[in-house]
Amino acid sequence: MQSTRARTTVYYLILWLVAILFFLPVFWILMASFKTPNDILAVPPKFIFQPTLSNILDMLSRPNTVPYFINSLYLSITSVSLAIVVSFLAAYALSRYKFRATNFLMFLILSTRMVPAAAFVVPIFQMFNAFQWRNQFGVLMLYTMFSIPFSLWILKGFIDGVSTRYDETGFVNGASRLHVMFRVVLPQVRPGLIAAFIFNLIFVWNEFLLNFILGGPGTQMIPYALAVGLVSAGGNIDWAFVASLSTGYVLLPTIMIFLFQKYLLVGMTFGTVRGEV
Amino acid sequence: MIAVELQNLAKRYGRKQVLKNVSLTVESGDFMVVFGLPASGKSVLVRLLTGLETPDQGRVILRGADVSKLSAGERNIGYVPQSFALYPHFTVRQNISYPLDLARVPKAEIEPEVQRVAGLLGIQELLDRKPDQLSGGQKQRVAIARGLIKRTDIYVLDDPLVGLDFKLRERLIDDLKRTQELLKVTFIYTTSDAVESLMLAGKIAVLDAGEIVECGAPETLYANPQRVQTMHHVAFPQANLTPGMLRQQSGELLVETPLSCMKFDGERPEKPFGDIQIGVRPEHIRIGAPPADGWLTHQAKVLLREDLGGEEIVYLDVNGVVLTTVLRSDDQTQQHVEIDQIVRISIPPQQMVVFQEGRRIGVCKISE
Repeated sequence: MQSTRARTTVYYLILWLVAILFFLPVFWILMASFKTPNDILAVPPKFIFQPTLSNILDMLSRPNTVPYFINSLYLSITSVSLAIVVSFLAAYALSRYKFRATNFLMFLILSTRMVPAAAFVVPIFQMFNAFQWRNQFGVLMLYTMFSIPFSLWILKGFIDGVSTRYDETGFVNGASRLHVMFRVVLPQVRPGLIAAFIFNLIFVWNEFLLNFILGGPGTQMIPYALAVGLVSAGGNIDWAFVASLSTGYVLLPTIMIFLFQKYLLVGMTFGTVRGEV
Repeated sequence: MIAVELQNLAKRYGRKQVLKNVSLTVESGDFMVVFGLPASGKSVLVRLLTGLETPDQGRVILRGADVSKLSAGERNIGYVPQSFALYPHFTVRQNISYPLDLARVPKAEIEPEVQRVAGLLGIQELLDRKPDQLSGGQKQRVAIARGLIKRTDIYVLDDPLVGLDFKLRERLIDDLKRTQELLKVTFIYTTSDAVESLMLAGKIAVLDAGEIVECGAPETLYANPQRVQTMHHVAFPQANLTPGMLRQQSGELLVETPLSCMKFDGERPEKPFGDIQIGVRPEHIRIGAPPADGWLTHQAKVLLREDLGGEEIVYLDVNGVVLTTVLRSDDQTQQHVEIDQIVRISIPPQQMVVFQEGRRIGVCKISE
């Protein structure tokens, strides 16, 4: 009895240590966004300091910061929402009408995400140039497309888990296919929808390479702003700017995960994809 | 009036012919039980009847009209699916009222209907719960209520009691029988359970390997089965089957089994020789001396006893053949036995039914 409790305490101690270790860089950034530039680089690091909002105000007053945030929010939420709609319809079809090569098709769709972005960014760039898609709509479609494979995999797993007897009970009682899809199946895969939404939202929110290469003023997102604003006019790294922008940047994923961690867990265990992105 | 008529239905999945030429007629107001072992094609039959799938061949006729081309929703059938299929995101009330909601019945009319069927099945106090707060038996009642609320005259229940415990099944069997008699509607009910079939049915159709081999009232099927599957499976405990040979000797037909050689009693079959099966119901095998002349008697060793309280199932080894018999505990005329005891058994030969190629051809008769 005594030894079990001691062991549990040790386990928790280790877990807390590891968690804190992982959290330290985030903590440093969060603190730095409220420090003066001198305090940020002070040695030894200052834990007690006079907090200031000047970094954040400075960051927000720079001409493009607010558009970057708006772009990030708009592109990620819109593209992932579109992707979820398309994926749900596709997942229902693939789950219920058992096409001949469903598994191969599923593999093909997922294979688009097996290649690193660096490998296809140049052909995509050329294609987007040729078709004149290097605008907000083009980038939106690209992100939608890239959010579909994981969403489809997660949702197909969830819909497969909903017995076709639910559909059939609806049909026998006179329900239409659309009714069955949206009123019978959809409410039962809500955790899958949320899990797919969060996974892909974080992917698009963090995406940098394609955004950097393809983007224009209408599409540049926060990671781009971080990269471009990293070095100040004098050639030094502008830690105050980086820290305050990063603090704003981690806000959305943090809130999302905090609110929906239950679904995230369900998504990771019930869906076919386990903890990707 | 004929409520349901299935004409020459056939269905194949890939290489597997699941249903071959199934025809079945159900009178209006009948309780028709389609009995079949697992994988005999019961569920496919239900799917074709309800319109969830189209047959490769044959027609489905409901209330005198050919509905083969109509979708499931247009056939107006009340449906209780296998394994409940209650919508987890609905309350019990919403689940039960679902068929009426879909039919756009005015809200004011729905609530009294829900109360009525809930009362019928004794689940009024569960209406505000969610399905995951119910026990298996309660879920089943809700599923049945959802099937019954539909305003129609034909209801299809696809093995609704499968997986429920014995006591619960018995209660639901009573409820179902009572409900059907009360509503005077047509029930088509599939099951793989012999007791359920015999207790519920107005008529039983025996489905075996995609064919309806026999159809009739339960008493008739039990007393006078024409097919070996019927005799063997539509009974509890199952009927004994032993292999045998039909042989001709000096103009007489003989039935040879590991137990004995008897005369054949019945019309001379087309093929008066070859492999046969002999069926005997457990209750016709008596432990002890024969009460009358003309019985077959044999030595047997007691292998196992299963005490069911009111009765006891005894497994006997008779010349290498295992036979079961039933002893009623209160029957003073029967001898009680212990395991490994050697006993004498007697069987009336007219209860030994001879099947050739699965069909009844006659019974046995003792040779003097």
